[in-house]
Amino acid sequence: MLYRTAGQFKTTYEADHALFPVRQDAILLGIILVVAWVVLPLTANEFAFKALLVPVLIYTLAALGLNILTGYAGQLSLGTGAFMGVGAYACYKIITIFPEVNLLVAIAMSGFFSAAVGVAFGVPSLRIKGFYLAIATLAAQFFLVWLFEKWAWLYNYSASGAIQVPTIEMFGVVVAGPNAKAITQYYFVLAVVTVVTMLAINITRGRIGRIWKSVRDMDIAAELVGINLMKAKLSAFFVSSYIVGIAGALFVFLWRGAAEPNLFDIPLSFRVLFIVIIGGLGSILGNYLGAMLIVALPVVLSYLPGALGIPVSSSMVEHLNTMVVGALIIFFLIVEPHGLARFWAVLREKLIIWPFPH
Amino acid sequence: MKRLAKTALLASGLALAAAFAAPAFAQDAINLPNLSYRTGPFAATGIPLMNGQRDYIAMLNARDGGVNGVTINYEECETGYNTEKGVECYEKTKAGAAVTQPWSTGITLQVLPKSNVDKIAVLAPGYGFSPMADGKTFKWAFNPPSSYWDGASMILQNISQGNLDSLKGKKIALLHLDHPYGKEPIPLLEALAAKHGFTFLPIPVGLKEMQNQSAQWLQIRREKPDFVLMWGWGAMNAGAITEAVKTKYPMNQFIGIWWSSLDGDLKLVGDAGKGYRAVSWSVPNSASKAMQDIKKHVVDAGKSMINQAEGEFDWVFYQRGVLISMMSVEAIKAAQAKFNVKVPNAEQVRWGLENLDINEAKLAELGMEGMIVPFKTSCADHTGHGGAWMLEWDGKQFVKASDLIKPDRAAIEPLEIEKAKEYATANAPWPLNDECK
Repeated sequence: MLYRTAGQFKTTYEADHALFPVRQDAILLGIILVVAWVVLPLTANEFAFKALLVPVLIYTLAALGLNILTGYAGQLSLGTGAFMGVGAYACYKIITIFPEVNLLVAIAMSGFFSAAVGVAFGVPSLRIKGFYLAIATLAAQFFLVWLFEKWAWLYNYSASGAIQVPTIEMFGVVVAGPNAKAITQYYFVLAVVTVVTMLAINITRGRIGRIWKSVRDMDIAAELVGINLMKAKLSAFFVSSYIVGIAGALFVFLWRGAAEPNLFDIPLSFRVLFIVIIGGLGSILGNYLGAMLIVALPVVLSYLPGALGIPVSSSMVEHLNTMVVGALIIFFLIVEPHGLARFWAVLREKLIIWPFPH
Repeated sequence: MKRLAKTALLASGLALAAAFAAPAFAQDAINLPNLSYRTGPFAATGIPLMNGQRDYIAMLNARDGGVNGVTINYEECETGYNTEKGVECYEKTKAGAAVTQPWSTGITLQVLPKSNVDKIAVLAPGYGFSPMADGKTFKWAFNPPSSYWDGASMILQNISQGNLDSLKGKKIALLHLDHPYGKEPIPLLEALAAKHGFTFLPIPVGLKEMQNQSAQWLQIRREKPDFVLMWGWGAMNAGAITEAVKTKYPMNQFIGIWWSSLDGDLKLVGDAGKGYRAVSWSVPNSASKAMQDIKKHVVDAGKSMINQAEGEFDWVFYQRGVLISMMSVEAIKAAQAKFNVKVPNAEQVRWGLENLDINEAKLAELGMEGMIVPFKTSCADHTGHGGAWMLEWDGKQFVKASDLIKPDRAAIEPLEIEKAKEYATANAPWPLNDECK
């Protein structure tokens, strides 16, 4: 009943090509946008911004980048953490060399650095596939983290080897650094994530997205119908690493405030990959769902014993948390191997005929 | 199944609401949050330290009903030494906190700039950033009683019998964790090597190689340094000590910083570790009155989390944890006396930390004679530079093996001021505390 599409006639080509051709989807999106842009900022406190909302958005963005490469173009990558690092260090260098540059511009520019690095490490994808490619991107992971540690110019020769975000203003408002308000940072991240998501939806459903999908599904067939594999694969690496790089810059500048090289090590890559797999390969919505499960759920769960009045020590909560989240991941993958996005799709199918199943 | 799903939904809704709502705090108690790590690769070193801190507060609450009649809420937030969890825990615990303890150089770096804005003092006893000693620049950060640079200077003085020029032509290796913490002493050691003519050789141990240091020890065997200094933490200490025994490196030429003096690590090698030394600003003394009170009120009452079968009560780290809690409590006491309040706020506790005077008489009063180096902080000096002793492993436990060593402040201070200034310019606009000269 809720998702009945009967009676929604498309009379023009424009209407048929709309981003959300089903009216209920558009309404739902509207509600989500209102919640994200108006309701949450009015209700959330600083902790919710810093520990839940901002990290979920940033991880979503990183997962979106990886999903374009792995979910849409079918190229497995284990170097996401390092590409995020390239974005973060590039942004740090831009900001420290040219302090007058607008942060938004700096972040957009830093994406190009990680895109270039991503394309360079994507070249092996022209010859190798699957697990072999994963190993090649793993090389990027090890090499880049090593570089972040050894190339002192990258962190301005600071003794600790870590980068620190200075106070940055944009149009008279402090957006990054210790003096920035959590709500400003939330809006900044939300704006970037909203714009990039819009672009990603449009790219993936258009000509380029279809090329990627055909390469993913069968590259020989794609080549036979006249698709240039080199262009397709490298463009996927470019777009993916660009988005991942932006996510990395936001990760350090709008959330963490400081970063040491091993932050970008392999656990981060795996974390983003988990989000993509649990959220759903080849889905934009899945990134959001996956990030909520992997990033926000543990934080929320750690409040549970306290809210229920069960006295447990904080280290025990941490152990329980790991177990619960691990169990949930396995549960979801067994129930719906195609990820949470597919879960939502099934739910949506059911809602069409609900509550009269016959 | 349906009911289970409903219960789960309800529970997560409740937790979400709790996470969003501002945490409420009782105003008749003092909150002492601690960003602890009892899990993860550094848990072995973290657990005894956290136990010590926890038990001292528990003892005060049980014996005296808190501090001057006000109970202390000691609250741990688990980070697993993970900087990401660190942000979360800091945000979670900062409301109503008297002082915060970040417990990792990485988390300290994230919290340090925030402390100016949130106005909460950061207590990082014996760790963190050495230039934090400069109270004029770092108004809200404290690292008593000795900094890493003090530690490096004291080790060199001890091995050179007080005359650094006698090290000329010698080779000194620094086996360190390749992490902000392990890199801390490098600038000072480089400067001293240039000044006194010894060869300085840093040997980094990556976070992934902590348990397998064969490559590093092969290098040590090849280079044959006269001394190996160690800035190790967590699993790295045990790895280094077992490798040193395996390669038969002379133990009396192997010296660690205070965080490399975990009894459990040396118990692994037992007698083979005899002669290993670590510079330390604390010495365990299980017979002291304070420790006996902890035994009576906390351990024997079954309220402690220590591993009694391993003899954790006598460990250097456990008793160091006790001393760390003593510092926060003394700061609270000072603030209570100065501002005549029962529950001092974070700003008043900061004043207390700035005016800590831990002398022999005070230690006798607390029943902690000889357990920690005497030190005194001030507006300009947030470390106190109390010095340290050498601890030596005798095959069964660590024993005090030297008189009090003092750091060569004349050599360190200019570097501290320079690096503090560098930090302030890199993070401009950085507020300076103009109250002190």
